[in-house]
Amino acid sequence: MVLTKAALGLGTLVLAGAYTFQEGVIRVDVDQFRSGSSHVHIWVPAAAVPMAMHFVPVSHMRHTSEHAREGLPILHAVLKELKKYSDADFVEVVDHDQHVRVSTHEGKLQIEVDAPDEKVHILCPLSTIEDVTYQLEEHAAGA
Amino acid sequence: MSDLNKSFIAKTALIAAAVLFSPLGVLAQSAAAPASSTQSTASVSQDRWLHVRVISTDAKGESVRVNVPLELAEKVLPAINKERLHAGKVKIDDAHVNDVDLRALAEAIRTTKEGEFVTVQSNDCDVRLAKQSKRLIIHVLDKEDSKESEVEIMVPMKVIDALFSAGKDELDLVAALHALSAQGDTELVSVKDHENTVRIWLDSKNVTD
Repeated sequence: MVLTKAALGLGTLVLAGAYTFQEGVIRVDVDQFRSGSSHVHIWVPAAAVPMAMHFVPVSHMRHTSEHAREGLPILHAVLKELKKYSDADFVEVVDHDQHVRVSTHEGKLQIEVDAPDEKVHILCPLSTIEDVTYQLEEHAAGA
Repeated sequence: MSDLNKSFIAKTALIAAAVLFSPLGVLAQSAAAPASSTQSTASVSQDRWLHVRVISTDAKGESVRVNVPLELAEKVLPAINKERLHAGKVKIDDAHVNDVDLRALAEAIRTTKEGEFVTVQSNDCDVRLAKQSKRLIIHVLDKEDSKESEVEIMVPMKVIDALFSAGKDELDLVAALHALSAQGDTELVSVKDHENTVRIWLDSKNVTD
């Protein structure tokens, strides 16, 4: 009986792992190189974000949706198209010792900002941003 | 339930879990990978990319590179409804800009045979406006300063036709982009002065050279 439960537990774990693996990871790295600087490194399973949004109070979601209402159709259209370009560079700005790059890599939106005193790297699956957009649109429609 | 049965069920469950779930990750990867490579191939062979490159010639070496798939721009533009831009079209007041009737001007250029329309050569600047190889060409060479600057704009006539294909007081940007995507690899804008070099062109590559 114990083995059965263990097998089921293992199966669930593997299934959850596979789902998480498929959805990917959101990665945020912020490094400041000045006095009192901070270093923030966040790795979050992308699958957790749309799920977590279900626990956000409806009033907060409506408030956010109302603010984003105008931009949501544009964001939705951009994401739908960006998914067709899984590996591409869209913007690159080099200004002396500063560097900004917006690209997609393996279906993830990649934003890199490198400056002498700060480095910000964000990597987020496009499908996750699309899920969040859908949820915001739903709340905007219900508002 | 006998111990033998319990053991059998447990083993079966373990094997089933292993067989069912372990390939999921691989499947997820393999399902994603071909899609990615297909997209990549498609983007090289079919997609049309508009490239903008600005390079500063000063010592700091500033540069801006923007690569936009025309299809993306075509799909996103109609979603933007702000001020004069609606459904991929821009409203222009009575088709007049600085007392120039753009529509009449475009129609005149469209119906005129290919050739040189304007040629100005002076000590300050050279200007050339021509219709050549189904393209409208504007070339300006500014010689006023000691450092020359040169602007060259080459727009396919089909793009101009598409741009003015909307209503009386509108410019159809989406139609123009669509017409542009049907063009082969082409240079559109080139600006060279003592500070910057600007280049706008169209090709099938998703990276800037």
